[in-house]
Amino acid sequence: MSTASTRITTVERLREYLYLAMQLEHATIPPYLTALYSLKPGTNSDAYHVIRVVAVEEMLHLTLDANMLNAIGGSPDLTAPSFVPDYPAFLPDGETDFQVSRQRFSREAMQNILEIERPKQTPSEQHRLVRRSAPKAQQLAVVPGEPSMQYYSIGEFYAEIGRGFRYLHKEMGDALFRGDPARQVGKEYFYSGGGELTTVTDLDSAEVAIRLISEQGEGYGGRIYDEHRELAHYYRFEQLLLGRYYLDGDQPGQPTGPALSVDWDAVYPIKQDARLADYPAGSELRDAAVAFNRAYADFLGLLTKAFTGQPELLIEAVTGMFRLRDLMIQLIRNPIPGLDGVNAAPTFEMAAAAVVSS
Amino acid sequence: MTADMTHDVVVVGAGVAGSLIARRLTTEGLRVLVLEAGPATPSTFEGYLQHVQTFYAASGKGAESAWPPAIGAPQPDARDLRSDNGYFVQRGPLKYGSTYTRAQGGSTLHWLGVSLRMLPEDFELRSRYGRGRDWPLRYQALEPWYRQAEREIGVAADVADQTHHGIEFADGYDYPMRRIPPSYSDIVLAAAVDGMSVRLGEDEIRLKVRSYPAARNSIPRDGYRPVGAVDIRPDGLGRDLYLGERCAGNTSCTPICPIQAKYNAGKSLARANPAYLTVLARAVASKLHVDPVSGEVRGVEYQRYEDTSSPRHTVHTAHGRIYVLAAHAVENAKLMLASGLGGASGMLGRNLMDHPSIYGWGLAKAPLGPYRGPLSTSGIDDMRGGAFRARHAAFRVDIGNDGWRPTTGAPDTTVVDAVQTRGLYGADLRRYLESTLARQVRFSLNAEQLPSAANRVTIDPRYLDAMGNPRPVISYDIDDYTLAGMAEATRVYREVFSRAGIEDHTDPEHSTWFPEVPYAGGTMRYHGMGHFAGTHGMGNDPESSVVDVDQRSWEHRNLFLVGAGSFPTMGTSNPTLTMAALALRTADRLIAEMGRSSHRQQPYRREQGRSRDLSSGGYTEDRPPEGLGDRL
Ligand SMILES: Cc1cc2nc3c(=O)[nH]c(=O)nc-3n(C[C@H](O)[C@H](O)[C@H](O)COP(=O)(O)OP(=O)(O)OC[C@H]3O[C@@H](n4cnc5c(N)ncnc54)[C@H](O)[C@@H]3O)c2cc1C
Ligand code: SF4
Repeated sequence: MSTASTRITTVERLREYLYLAMQLEHATIPPYLTALYSLKPGTNSDAYHVIRVVAVEEMLHLTLDANMLNAIGGSPDLTAPSFVPDYPAFLPDGETDFQVSRQRFSREAMQNILEIERPKQTPSEQHRLVRRSAPKAQQLAVVPGEPSMQYYSIGEFYAEIGRGFRYLHKEMGDALFRGDPARQVGKEYFYSGGGELTTVTDLDSAEVAIRLISEQGEGYGGRIYDEHRELAHYYRFEQLLLGRYYLDGDQPGQPTGPALSVDWDAVYPIKQDARLADYPAGSELRDAAVAFNRAYADFLGLLTKAFTGQPELLIEAVTGMFRLRDLMIQLIRNPIPGLDGVNAAPTFEMAAAAVVSS
Repeated sequence: MTADMTHDVVVVGAGVAGSLIARRLTTEGLRVLVLEAGPATPSTFEGYLQHVQTFYAASGKGAESAWPPAIGAPQPDARDLRSDNGYFVQRGPLKYGSTYTRAQGGSTLHWLGVSLRMLPEDFELRSRYGRGRDWPLRYQALEPWYRQAEREIGVAADVADQTHHGIEFADGYDYPMRRIPPSYSDIVLAAAVDGMSVRLGEDEIRLKVRSYPAARNSIPRDGYRPVGAVDIRPDGLGRDLYLGERCAGNTSCTPICPIQAKYNAGKSLARANPAYLTVLARAVASKLHVDPVSGEVRGVEYQRYEDTSSPRHTVHTAHGRIYVLAAHAVENAKLMLASGLGGASGMLGRNLMDHPSIYGWGLAKAPLGPYRGPLSTSGIDDMRGGAFRARHAAFRVDIGNDGWRPTTGAPDTTVVDAVQTRGLYGADLRRYLESTLARQVRFSLNAEQLPSAANRVTIDPRYLDAMGNPRPVISYDIDDYTLAGMAEATRVYREVFSRAGIEDHTDPEHSTWFPEVPYAGGTMRYHGMGHFAGTHGMGNDPESSVVDVDQRSWEHRNLFLVGAGSFPTMGTSNPTLTMAALALRTADRLIAEMGRSSHRQQPYRREQGRSRDLSSGGYTEDRPPEGLGDRL
């Protein structure tokens, strides 16, 4: 089903892809943060740390995408109106897509994360792209210029980016990498897990970045432990669902280690995909939700600066996440009046934040 | 007693000295058994978090509050000092005010992480100033291992700040991570203090507020990856938690860094080569067996317990070709004495030192923002060296970032005072607290102590712990040389306060209780710094030292005693970095020697590919390696 027009043949198209990739990576962060802070304090530390680690990794991927985009002279703008999707959003999952919501920690939420973390490989070249009969507004990984087509999987989306890099490099040589190297974010600026963070200045480093993004979640060569004897994230999440630790040598799906306990009830019952409209005008919750959205908009603003020439601001942005956490927790620990036993949650509505703060 | 095991090297104690040696030896393919008296809980992330919870729940937040000891491995606790009812038997005349931790990871679990090098002149105190003794090696000879220690421990600092008093760094060298940013109060104080001078006898000394090297993760330099939280799981493998790779300013470095941004010895043990490492936690070494003819050690007897709340245990013996005691300055001496190995020189257990320390506290004119960031980030190092050392002790100033917490129990006591004594409430209370707490300043002035044979650790069959091991009996005094230094330190901090416009509120009569010492018609209150040193000092002469320059026992040639116990003198630097450099040097000696004299042994278990530097894990006793477990 793929047509010539869906191939990346111009620098502009590659930039478009990389910007969409950033949007895609970022789109997972609000759901992860929401699940993370819905955990009651002092409980579920395994779950807490697994989710936290992947959230950090999504930040890493976001930064790698920014490095790639900058390398070819693009300019990331995380404050653009549609950068943060409305939730639920839809990620590709082979022949179908699946819904990503901002929801509390639960079996469903973990299942959701598993789906995000498991890149599917297309059975054949013709299936690289899938036509969605009823394209949804918040569909991610759609084909630039072909809104009714979506990539089979995130992995395929990145595969096309890699192909685009190679194609354009062949066409134009190192002129492809015309971006200002001062815009590259190096590992010194990345708070944690930044060991892998690579700057992108040529084809090799671009391929390293892509490989890192597409391999991080899925495990190494189909093994559950990677070459560093680290458990791939997919299996770390799976441990939570299966209630048992993996040991080295275990078969996927059949961990044989000690039991692991998850307390699925030690979670705040927050509203799924909450919106500002869920909180009465003038209420404290409404104010708190607006304050959070504004702080989140500031955070994206700071990231944009960090990705456009002031990499040292990444440190400040990440430090600022403590404030985001506190603001999120204020919402998550408070019930919505009138809704029996349903708590508030941050709404991540950036358009609203822009209107309010302008 | 169960069947024996043989190893290349048996290390007693999984603290910083023992863990660094175990990591280096296993990396070279030597089979190492580590016996650790305390529980292994800190080595898993889950277990470590339990300690964080213990700390949260503790009513007092002292250095030991996160690390309750096992019955079988008791430890000193600052709370016992006043009641004189603790693990130490204090013989006096003064109280020895310091503590340590007996759990896997040792005292670095609760240390602050100040990682200063000693000054070149500290190694030559006798020849330069006629005091104390000289070391059997000089600064320049240890320098390469200082560099290695800074990398192993992960020290954050800028060389540009640290070249004073003749401290030299190898060309082109800088610390593995950039310095931790100075706190706001450091910056404000520096603006007021830098360039002022004070007199110490004939010496006119210019002061400068200097950020100090800290074993806390910060922004890495060229390719170094900060080592974050440790998590060795049931499968014996490490997990990358992406946690603690930068200090986040949680302000609880002592007693516990919740995210492990601060170094603890568990990080080194976790990076040992697991194929060659066996760690037995809850295994208290109780006696060394020595060949009466050759003097060589033939085995270490140890007591293994399961339940941390019971003295029940079984007795075993471990054998190796080489034995390394890394159980801490006091416990090393105690173990030797308990084994009847006091030695011909009579020096074992003697020359116990510390950095007796006094506090000065006051209120600045404007808010300085305490109670944030690492407990301390800067100090004044200018009084660490100089001609005055012929007459009185050198000292260092630590500038606190935690207000009056250690001196008066603030902020809680400030609130109590405001409500109960001043009768404040509502908006007034809030205003008062905001203005008072934010202006609190605290200095800690740490004086050098010289070796003295009368300051010593002994044992006494009347004083035993629950498993029948001797408790340390401590005789301790502070001599006039050190007291004079403490008096000068008092004078200096007052000058600095007045220069910086800080109103002195130092009032030891109305503060947390500290032991007192009479001096010049008055008394001084002092506290310990946790810097135990000197109990098995090194030297060139078997008559006056216990170990040689390699930390090898003069009398038992296959036995090494490592740690600050080997220091002949300790200058003013916190001891751990120097002890780490010495430990790495000893490990290199062992590798050179054992590599030569023996054929390599098989690993304990299959090597599963070289593990990545940061996240491999050594096995702990809870999952003994195949083939070995059934013989335990
Ligand atoms: C509050 C506080 C703050 C400090 N801050 C600093 C600082 O900022 N900078 C600095 O340089 N130093 C500091 N120190 C000192 C530092 O903690 C110690 O110097 C250092 O940890 C000692 O290392 P070690 O390996 O010799 O002993 P330890 O770290 O005490 O390790 C000894 C290990 O041996 C084990 N052990 C003991 N007895 C036996 C036995 N019989 N059998 C088997 N195992 C045994 C123990 O359980 C322990 O694990 C501080 C100390 C305190 C108390
Ligand atoms: S300030 Fe904190 S994060 Fe930093 S070392 Fe201390 S306790 Fe850890």
